[in-house]
Amino acid sequence: MAGFRIIELAAPFLPIMPEIELPYDKLPFDDKVVYTILIGLFYIFSQLPIAGINTNGITSNAIEGDPLYYLRGIFAMGPSKTILEFGLFPIVSSTLILQLLAGMKLIKVNFKNSQDRQLFQSLTKIVSVFLYIILTNIFIATGYFGANLSLLSILLINFQIVSMGIFTILLVEIIDKSYGFGSGIMCITVMNTATNFVDNVFGVASINVDTVVGGNYTESRGAFINLTQNLRSSRFSLIGGIVSAFTRDYLPNLTHVSIVALIFFIVCYWQNYNMEVTIRSTRTRNINNVYPIRMLYTGGLSIYFSFILIALINISIYVFLNITHLSNKYYVLENNTLLIPKFPFNLLTPPKAFYPDLFTKQILTLLILPIFIIITSCWFSLQWMNISGASPKDIALQFKEQSITIAGKREQAIKQELNNKIRPAAIAGGLVLGGIVSLGELLGLKGDAAGIVVAVTSGFALLELVTIEYQQSGGKSALTQILGAPGGKY
Amino acid sequence: MAKSTSSASAGNNNTNVEKIVSGEAPLEFVKEGVSFISKCKKPNQKEYMKIIRAVGIGFVGIGIIGYAIKLIHIPIRYLIV
Amino acid sequence: MSTAVPPGGQRTLQKRRQAQNAKENKLKQTPTSARAAGFGGSSNNILKIFTDEASNGLRVDPLAVLFLAVGFIFSVVALHVIAKMTGKLF
Repeated sequence: MAGFRIIELAAPFLPIMPEIELPYDKLPFDDKVVYTILIGLFYIFSQLPIAGINTNGITSNAIEGDPLYYLRGIFAMGPSKTILEFGLFPIVSSTLILQLLAGMKLIKVNFKNSQDRQLFQSLTKIVSVFLYIILTNIFIATGYFGANLSLLSILLINFQIVSMGIFTILLVEIIDKSYGFGSGIMCITVMNTATNFVDNVFGVASINVDTVVGGNYTESRGAFINLTQNLRSSRFSLIGGIVSAFTRDYLPNLTHVSIVALIFFIVCYWQNYNMEVTIRSTRTRNINNVYPIRMLYTGGLSIYFSFILIALINISIYVFLNITHLSNKYYVLENNTLLIPKFPFNLLTPPKAFYPDLFTKQILTLLILPIFIIITSCWFSLQWMNISGASPKDIALQFKEQSITIAGKREQAIKQELNNKIRPAAIAGGLVLGGIVSLGELLGLKGDAAGIVVAVTSGFALLELVTIEYQQSGGKSALTQILGAPGGKY
Repeated sequence: MAKSTSSASAGNNNTNVEKIVSGEAPLEFVKEGVSFISKCKKPNQKEYMKIIRAVGIGFVGIGIIGYAIKLIHIPIRYLIV
Repeated sequence: MSTAVPPGGQRTLQKRRQAQNAKENKLKQTPTSARAAGFGGSSNNILKIFTDEASNGLRVDPLAVLFLAVGFIFSVVALHVIAKMTGKLF
C-alpha cells in the first residue's frame, strides 16, 4: 500500500472523538485567566483515590509499591493509586514523540493541509487514550492495584483512570484552543508543580509514619512544618529534631526542598541568558534593534523528552520483570511505598537518596543517568530547534518578510549567521538543563528536579504569552485592577 | 536512510549534526555550546532580583491557591476512604 | 581571444542559487510542524497539541466538558461512598 499513511489510522475514530469547539471570537483576557485557573484547580482537585481498591497507601506486598515515583513530578501525576495515576504522561509522550516523528518526516503529514492537521491531532488524541488504557491494564496485570482483583474491580479501575485521562485530554484541549493561555500541558504542569512545592514546604497534612520509623507517630508532610513540630516535640532532642527535619527520607525534608528552590533560582537565572543579535530595518535607516537568542532555546521540552525515554524504558523493564516472574527478585520495597529496581535494572532509575542509596545500591547510575539525560536532551534540543518553526531558516524568512536584516551582514548571509547563533544555543540549552536535572536527580530529589526545571521554563514561556495578551487587551482587565500587578499570574 | 534524509532536510548545517549524532565529534559539539554560554549576555543582579521577585511571588501564589484546593482533600479522604 | 565561458563565475553561481531555491521551495511544500506551516501549534519552547477543529468530530462546548468532568469526580466520590457503605472492596 503505497499511499497509506499512519495518520489515516485516526480517520475511523474521528466521528466518535469529542472535540472542543474553537471560540467564535477571541476571548477577553479575564476569561482566559478564569478558564486557565479553573482547569488547573480542577486538575489538582481530581487527585482522588481510586474507588474499589485498597488505597491506604501502606502495603505489605512488594509489587504494590510505586515504581513511577520519579515521574510523578514532571508529568503532573497524582499520588500513587489515585485516578490521576498516569497524569499527563500519555498526553505529553504521544504529543512530543508524534510531533518529533512528523518533523523528522518519519510520519508523513502535510501540515499545510487542514485535513492532515486534523487527522494528526486526532491521532495524538487517540494514541494518548490508548496509552492510558494500555498503562492501566499493564499495572492491573502486574498486581500494582492489588492481587486477585475481581472483574468488577478491574472494570472500575479502567473506568476511573481512562475516563479521567479522557477528561484530562479535553481540559488540555480547552486551554490549547485559546480558551486559556498557550499550552494546556504547560499550564497544568506549572500549577501542579507549584502546588506540590508549597505542599512539600508548608503541607500540614499529618501522615502516619509508624511503619517506617516504628512507634505510633504522625509527621507533617511539609518540611518546614515538620521542623517546627520536631523542635516542640518530646520525641526528639533539639539537635535530633533538626537533623531529622533535614534528613528524613520517607517524606520531603528540608534539604530536598532547599535543593529544589536552588534549582528554581538557577534556572530563572539561566532563562535570562541570551545572545543579542543587532538587527536593523532595511526600510528605515539608522534604527538598530536587538533580537535576543535565548540560551534555553527549546525550554524544558528537552527534559520532557529525556524523561519520556526514561519512563518508557523503565516501564518496559517493569513489564518484562513481571512477565518473567522475576519482579520479587529484582525489586525492593522501600519506605513501604517506593518500588526500586536492583542492579542491572536500576541504571536509569533516579535514586531514592544521594547517600547511602546511590553509593551502596546503584553506583553505576552515577555515570549512566547523567550521560543518558544530557545526550538525549541535547539531541532533542537540536532536532526540535529544526522542526518547531523556529529554525534559522524560518527566522531568516521572518526577517525577510519584515524587512529586517542583521547589522553588518548581507541578506544572503542572514541564515548562516542565525545558524551560527541558534545551533549553539540549542546545544547549550540541552547541556545545562540536562546537567542540572541529572545533578538534582542524583542528589535524590526523586523526580522533583525535572519537575521544577520543566515548570520554571514553561512558566517563563507562558508568562511571555500572558504579557503579550495583556498588552494586546490594552491593559483593560478587571482582575489585574483587583490583584494589582499585571502579568503576575505565572 | 530515513534518518539521513530527514536531517538533510532539517537544517543547513546537517553534516555537522550528522557527525554529532553518530558520535564522531561530541567534544566539538560540547565546545560549541560552552562557547555560546561564555558569550551570552547575563542578567545583572538588579535585573535578576526583579525577575526572581516577580516569578517567585507568582509561583508561590499559584502554589498557595492550588494547595488551598488540595487541603479540601484531607477531610474528603477521611470521609470516603 | 577565447570567447568560451570560463568555469565558475556568474553562471555557476546562478545555477547554484537556482538549485538552492528549488530545494527551499520543495522544503516549503512539506513543513515540519504546524507552526512551520504557519498554523500555530508547538513552538520552540511551547508544547501544544490542538490547533484545528476536526470538522467531523463530536463537537462539544468547553463549559459542558467542565461540568461533565465535575460530574465524573462526583461519580468517583459516590463509588467510594458505596464501597464504604457496603463495607467491602467490590
